[in-house]
Formats: sequence, C-alpha cells, structure tokens
Amino acid sequence: MGFFEKVLFKKKVTTIQTKFAIYNALSKSLIILSFMALLPLIVEKVVYDHIDKRLIARTERILLTVQKGGIDDIVLEQDCSFESYSILKEEFVAIYPILDPRKMPPSMEIKNEAWQIDGEKMQHRIIRRPFTYDNQLYELNIGEGISSIEQLKSTIQRFSLIMMIVVVVISLFVDLGFVRILMKPLDKIMHKKLQPVPSPNNFDFTTIPSTTHEFNKLDQRINEMMLKLRDAFQIEKEFISNVSHELQTPISIVQNRLENIMIDANLSDDVLVRLSDSQRTLNRMSKIIKALLLISKIENDQYLKSEEVTTINILDEVIQDVEERLNQKNIKLIKQFYEDFNIKPCNRTLLYTMFTNLINNAIKYNKEDGSIIITTKFIDDVFHIEIKDTGIGMKKEDLPAIFDRFKRLNTSTAEGFGLGLPIVKTIAAFHKIDITVDSEPSVGSTFDLQFSM
Amino acid sequence: MNVLIVEDERSLSHEMEIYLTRQNFNCDVAFNGKSGTDKVLTNSYDFVLLDLGLPDMDGLDLLKDARKKGSEAAFIVLTARGEVEDKIKGLDLGADDYIPKPFSLAELHSRMQAILRRKHGLKSNTMTVADFDIDISNRTVQCKAQTINLTKKEFDLFHYLSLHKNRVLTRTQLTEHIWGDVLEDDYESNYIDVHVKNLRKKLSAHAPIDWFETVRGVGYRINI
Repeated sequence: MGFFEKVLFKKKVTTIQTKFAIYNALSKSLIILSFMALLPLIVEKVVYDHIDKRLIARTERILLTVQKGGIDDIVLEQDCSFESYSILKEEFVAIYPILDPRKMPPSMEIKNEAWQIDGEKMQHRIIRRPFTYDNQLYELNIGEGISSIEQLKSTIQRFSLIMMIVVVVISLFVDLGFVRILMKPLDKIMHKKLQPVPSPNNFDFTTIPSTTHEFNKLDQRINEMMLKLRDAFQIEKEFISNVSHELQTPISIVQNRLENIMIDANLSDDVLVRLSDSQRTLNRMSKIIKALLLISKIENDQYLKSEEVTTINILDEVIQDVEERLNQKNIKLIKQFYEDFNIKPCNRTLLYTMFTNLINNAIKYNKEDGSIIITTKFIDDVFHIEIKDTGIGMKKEDLPAIFDRFKRLNTSTAEGFGLGLPIVKTIAAFHKIDITVDSEPSVGSTFDLQFSM
Repeated sequence: MNVLIVEDERSLSHEMEIYLTRQNFNCDVAFNGKSGTDKVLTNSYDFVLLDLGLPDMDGLDLLKDARKKGSEAAFIVLTARGEVEDKIKGLDLGADDYIPKPFSLAELHSRMQAILRRKHGLKSNTMTVADFDIDISNRTVQCKAQTINLTKKEFDLFHYLSLHKNRVLTRTQLTEHIWGDVLEDDYESNYIDVHVKNLRKKLSAHAPIDWFETVRGVGYRINI
C-alpha cells in the first residue's frame, strides 16, 4: 500500500469498487475546485483579449480617419483636444495634444484606469496611443467601461459551474457503472472460485468469461493452480494408500514368521521374550500405518456418510465398552445428558472410533480415583458434547499441537502412536464437528464438541 | 483337511504353509490367479485362503468364478486393502470370512475352526479344559455342572487360549483377538493382564488352575 492509500483508507481493507468510487469522487472534486479557482482568471483573460482587440481596431480606424481627413474634422476645441462619449459613459474617445514631449507615453499601452467623465469617475479599459499629425504630438485615448464585464464574469462562472457539476455527476455514475461491469469477472472469480477456497476435488473449473486480459489470465492461472493442487492431492492420496498397503505385506510376513518361530519348543525364555517384544513392535508399526490410512481415507472422502445416530445412544455404547478400564483406575464417570441430538448423516463406525478415542484419552490421562463428566446440551442453538476429565492436563502452549500428527506431548510415560487425537480431529472435521480444548496442568482437560450440522 | 493358499507373496505363503501343516492341514499353494483357479476347480479343498491382490487377476473374480462352478470350499479372504467395501463384496460373493493383513496365524486358525463348526454343524460344540467345559455356541463355561459367570471378553480370552492350548499366546495376539481391529492409541496397556487376572479369579473359585500359566514377559499359556 502506498502512502496515499494509507492516508486515505487508514489501512482498512475495502473492495476495489469502493476504492474506485472514492478515487472518482475525490478526483472529480479536485477538478471542480481547480476549475473554480481558475475560471475567473480565464474569463478575465478572454474578455480583456476581446476588448483589447476591439480597442486596437478602433484606434486604427480613428488614426486612418485623421490621416485622410485631417485632424481639424475631429478636433473642435480650441485647445486642439477632443472628447466624445456615449450616453451611458460606457465608451469614450479622447484626443489630446502632448505639450511636453518628455511626457510622451510609450508607443501603445492598454490598462484599466478610472476615467473622469462629467465629474464622474468610472473604471475603464483604456488604450493609449501617441501619434503625430502636422508636427504636433497627440495622444489618442479610447476607453470602454468594464462594469459590465464583472457581471459577465460572474454569469459565465455560475453557468460553467453548473455545467461542470452536471458533467462530473454524470461521469461519476458512468464511471461507477463501467467499473462495475469491468470488475464483474473478478467478482465472479472471487465468489465462484475463491470464497471460500474449496477443496480441489470439488472445484469448479469452468472458465469465467471476460474481455479483460488480466482477468482471463487470473482465472486461467487459478484453474491451473487448482489442477496442480488436485493432482498433488491425488498423488499424496495414492501414495499414502499404496505405501500403506505395500508395507502391510512385509509386516505380515515377519509377523507370521515370528509366530512360527515362537511355536518352536526349544527356545530359551530370553529369546521368547525378545521375539514377543518384536511382535509388539511390529504390531505398533502396523497400527501406525492403519491409522495413517484411516486418516487419509477420511480426508479423501472415501467413507460413506449415510447413517444417523443419536448422541446419547452412541455415548452409552462407548461407555459400556470402556467400563473395565474405568473400574481399573477407579474412575467415576458422570453422565449429564441434558439433551439429545440426532447426528445425521454420519458414519457410525467413525463416530464410534472418535468417541472411544476421546473417552479413552480421558481415562488414560486421568488420575486414580479421578472422574470424567460427559455433558450433552444445547448452548445458543448449538449442540455441545463436553468431555471433562480430572487428569494431568496440558499446558496452554501445548494445546494447539495436540491434534497434529506425530506430535506427542511429554505428559505421559505411556506409549502411544500419537495418532489418537489426529484421528479424532479428522473424523470430527468429516462430520463438520468443531472441537475445542481447554486444559490446565494437574487439574484436567475439557474437550468440547460443537455440532453445527 | 485340505487347504489351498492363493498368495503371490511366496514368503507369506510359506509361513502360512508351515503353520497350517503343523496344525495337521494338507497345504497346497498357488502363486497366481490362474493356477489358483485351476487348482480350485480340479481339486477338492476344505479351505481356500485367498489373497485379493494377485498379480494376474482380482482375487474376488477367482472367488466368483469358483462359486459359479460349484466349489464348496470355505473361502477366507486375505487382504491388505482393509476396506469395508471389500469386506462386504467378499462376503456377498460367498466368502466365509475376511481377515485384513497383517493377521496373526493363531487368529487365522481360530477363524478356520469357527467356520468348520459353522459349516459342519458340529454336534458337540464344546471343549473341555481340565475341569471346565466350554460351550462355544452358547458362550458359557461350566465347572462340575455349575455355570461360571464370565464377561464377554473373559470368555473370548479363555476360549482363545483353550483353542491354542499348550502354546504361548502373546499379549499382542490376545489383544488383537479381543479388541480386533480397533485403532487404539494404547497398545502397550495392561488391560489384557487385568482380564486374565479376573478370569483366573473366577475359574480358581471352582477348581485348581495351575495349568493356566503366565509366561513372563511374553503372555499366557494353558498347559495341559
């Protein structure tokens, strides 16, 4: 942003159309203002030019008459001077002999001066021209009243101003209309392709017609970019899926081989333990791959969403399934099911996995004899499920990372593969469920699910 | 019992063969779809262990073809695809069970036995372990005509250990069997030990169970 814009818009983000409108209004106002300032000068210049030309022409005519018919025809007064004026004293002609040659004026001068006619002083535009006749120097003065000029000036000014405003207003509207038409393709690009930025899988690749080169290019480039992005997604999707499948086969081989070796009766206890550890390690690897595959399949919309389930129903089922774990740590689970909600459409299996992971998490990171409170209720028309534990909690700065893949926090010695919460997040996103977490170390964590479907 | 293993991955096929031969199955192997089809149609098998990702054809086509031509073998589909759709498709086309890779051989074996019981409608669907009688169809355990109240998981555990008696089952194998394919972020947990502890308590209330052994650092074994 330039300085001008900074001052004008105070860094506020506005649309191009608004900026054009503001620019238009400002620039047109500037034109009107400068026109108003310059107009008097221009009018004056034009009018005086006009008068001056007329005065010069008259001077020439009078001088010609003098040359032809002699000065005596004109100069009647005894002092060889002459004065004549129109009835309204708007115009006059005066000839005076110049008695003192030192007072001779320059060859010709035109200026505004007050002239006394019949004891009345009036502003005139006066041309002063010396000439010689019969070896006598004369001075010719022709004047024209300028009081009418002031009137003319203000009339022209008023008229021009009205004209100007009309023109500016018309052009303002024409400009805005044109800008609107001009910007229409950009508007379409913004609305159809960029708002909100869609997944490349369901992107609308149709060309938005425009006769503006830049917009055509923009549209074309966005399409190209999304196409590349889609291809990259596709490659990633296939890659994860292929890698996962390809890895499962060698894992199968080693796992089965370990099993066969362990059946052998002649193994020492030590070897048996190490083989069993290897089996567990292998199992862990397989689980990681399965979890990755699950996440990638959900993210790529490979799961159906065609079932419906009520939250209390599924929560009860999960709670029943984890009961033994609750007993083992002597954790009290308190159900505060104030309201129920029908999740539809959904994938029941995925939701089951999501709730299982969340509740298991609340058990796993809980203290002995702790408690878990599950609350279901509407807050401002949005259905909430809150899972609150009295566990070890997390530091505020760790919270943003808990849903990231492979980012395990140093809060537990229990080994996991660190994909439990990323799976939760992915399943929630798949069902358009928002999850927020609040936590305090050694007090506990609260997971809040908001159903905005 | 004749088993045909249709699996292009030779090492995997080999391990299955070793295990099943030890369990007194007669094993035959095919490394591609064509030879698998030929064998299924020529010989009579009790089981066909079928990999879906064969080099020359889709395993499901082999299954479809075999069923059309009247094969009565029990098909167990082995796949790394692990997709729900595959499962449904496999079962629709006449597969008897489905096991996602990687699977445990013990699990495969118990699934085969379950199919056998189902298919041949074994009259006495019971097993006896020392003083205990396990009724598999009704999922009950009795000792001296007295029913022992076991939870679902405890029953599964006891049944699975009995199926593989005289052999150590690791915690991993037991966990896989009890919780199946659930993606748990908690594989290191001692939940199995808790279940075993409870099971032992319930069993030992009725009769001595010194044959129920703990193999330290590995798992458990029913040694009779």
